[in-house]
Amino acid sequence: MNATKTHGKHGDFAIEAKGLVKRFKSGKAFIEVLKNVDFDARHGDLTMVMGPSGSGKSTLIAALSGLLRPEEGKVSALDVDNLWKMSSGKIDKFRLDHCGFIFQGFNLFPALSALQQVEIVLKFQGLSKSDARKQAMITLKEVGLGHRLHQRPSILSGGEKQRVAIARALAKNPQILFADEPTSALDGENGQIVIQLLRRAATQHGAAVICVTHDPRLEAWADRVIKIEDGIIISDERRVPDPNAALAHH
Amino acid sequence: MSLALSTLLYEWRRYMAAVMALALSGLLVLAMTGVFIGIGKGFTATIERSGADIMIMQPGATSLIGGPSGVPRRFIPLAYRHPEVVEVKPLDGAGGSFQSIRGYDPTMSQAERAKTKAPRREFVQTVIIDTTPGSVTIPRDYSQELVDALRQPYTVAVDETALTKLGVKLGDRALYNGRTVTVVGVTRGYPNMMQSTIVMSRDTLRMVGQSDEGSRVGPLMIKISDPARAQVVAAQLTAMGDGQWKAWTRQELADANAGAMFEEGILVIIIGGCVVLGTIIGVAITWQTLRGAIMANIKEFASLRALGVGMGSLRRIVMELSFWVGLVGVAAAIGLTMLVQWFALSNAVIISLPPILLIVVGGGLIIIAMLSGLLSMGVLKNSQPADLLR
Repeated sequence: MNATKTHGKHGDFAIEAKGLVKRFKSGKAFIEVLKNVDFDARHGDLTMVMGPSGSGKSTLIAALSGLLRPEEGKVSALDVDNLWKMSSGKIDKFRLDHCGFIFQGFNLFPALSALQQVEIVLKFQGLSKSDARKQAMITLKEVGLGHRLHQRPSILSGGEKQRVAIARALAKNPQILFADEPTSALDGENGQIVIQLLRRAATQHGAAVICVTHDPRLEAWADRVIKIEDGIIISDERRVPDPNAALAHH
Repeated sequence: MSLALSTLLYEWRRYMAAVMALALSGLLVLAMTGVFIGIGKGFTATIERSGADIMIMQPGATSLIGGPSGVPRRFIPLAYRHPEVVEVKPLDGAGGSFQSIRGYDPTMSQAERAKTKAPRREFVQTVIIDTTPGSVTIPRDYSQELVDALRQPYTVAVDETALTKLGVKLGDRALYNGRTVTVVGVTRGYPNMMQSTIVMSRDTLRMVGQSDEGSRVGPLMIKISDPARAQVVAAQLTAMGDGQWKAWTRQELADANAGAMFEEGILVIIIGGCVVLGTIIGVAITWQTLRGAIMANIKEFASLRALGVGMGSLRRIVMELSFWVGLVGVAAAIGLTMLVQWFALSNAVIISLPPILLIVVGGGLIIIAMLSGLLSMGVLKNSQPADLLR
């Protein structure tokens, strides 16, 4: 089953940010969404970033992943010393090679089958047609969609769609996996499947999984819980994850 | 299958507006151009379908329509000097008035006749054939019966599409330039929307006093022993003419005739107008449709961006999509035009669609689609993955 390779050593730093400041213009005033935030995440950890809406948690992962340039601060990721010193093309390439993304919405192309959704990213990564297909199949089987390879999003359930999105992110063996509210559009049962998949990406593949959520029930699976409020990290705790935790109400 | 093609096929309704816009732009240009070429073809069909492999015209002639095409009669024996030439006949023809007299007293005045709703007097183009068996001037699709019938003096054949306009049917009598002729044949596939055409034998033409009797004759129609060698023989004939004439193969002449229509300034203006109009409408609608379609998938594009797929790759997807939309548009345009062509033909209007016209217009439509794709690329900048995080 575990055909994907593992990265880094569990416990090594995968991403480290220092002094991140991000301001947004609101009318004439600037709102500081990130106020000098320091952050790090390690391989093999499921790092949970929690906070109420507007706390800056989404902005934080946008800045970490090279999607939104911070006004100040430095992001070091893997062997890149300062992500934001690179050109936008290089940042894209870095994400293509090393990062996976999972969003609250599934953002799947309506025209493509589950297999094609995963394949297309792999092809952009430069894999040959047959390699992309093989890898996509393995990953989809890994997320439990072996029987849904040729279905389009329109006939997949919400949980299945999110699993396709996860497969799309996992297929390229990311060393860093960003997830933004991955369970909030799902019911308890599907939410549990999704968080377990993220847990497995960290444990088995050694990815640094950074999961933004405001659902406190997900804490049970986390190695580390970072709480952020008004652009400031207010707590950072390590904990022992409980892989058998239950999210669904039975 | 690529993302662009899958999307086009799966969400074809979304792209229908663009495909239809392209198809209609294409139809506009194809049909207009085709009609004008068809008008020209209406005048030259009998010659272009004749057994003549080669035609000899004056050196300055650029086509059968207009321009100096007649030659001195002495060229006929000169052309026979080439060993492969089998038959040489001068093209002849005329025009005249044609008056149906079916059920009407031919001595009535035009005014009286008009009151009784009798067929009007029409001016017709007269083309001739030689009725000797297998003659070079006989169109290849004429039946032996038709040729035999036309061999009788004072007989004519009329295309089926001209019957109503001329007010005659098979077997009727009519006045041609005041002389009685009998309609002994009805042809099919020789419509001429501008002017009705009647066919008669060279002998009948002489009997009605309109054949070339002088020292000059029309272009020479030449049959050679091996039609496949037409190009070679034409070149040799031209060389033999030593500047006095130029020999054309049938295909060269047909192409020149089609092109000759476009030396008319007004046609260029009409077709140019159609092209400009078609381009503007095509680009505007295709652009807006593509824009809308990209916006509809913008979140999916943004998620690809988040996964590290560069803007350049997304642009390529849009361009590929535009190309496919263009290609479907071309197919739809050609399909629609052929439908219109079929309708038109049943009303005696020829819409001629030479392959070169289809290629040029098809290429133009694909350029329009790609241009629209370029224009709609701007919306891709809305594919901000950071927006997905809120």
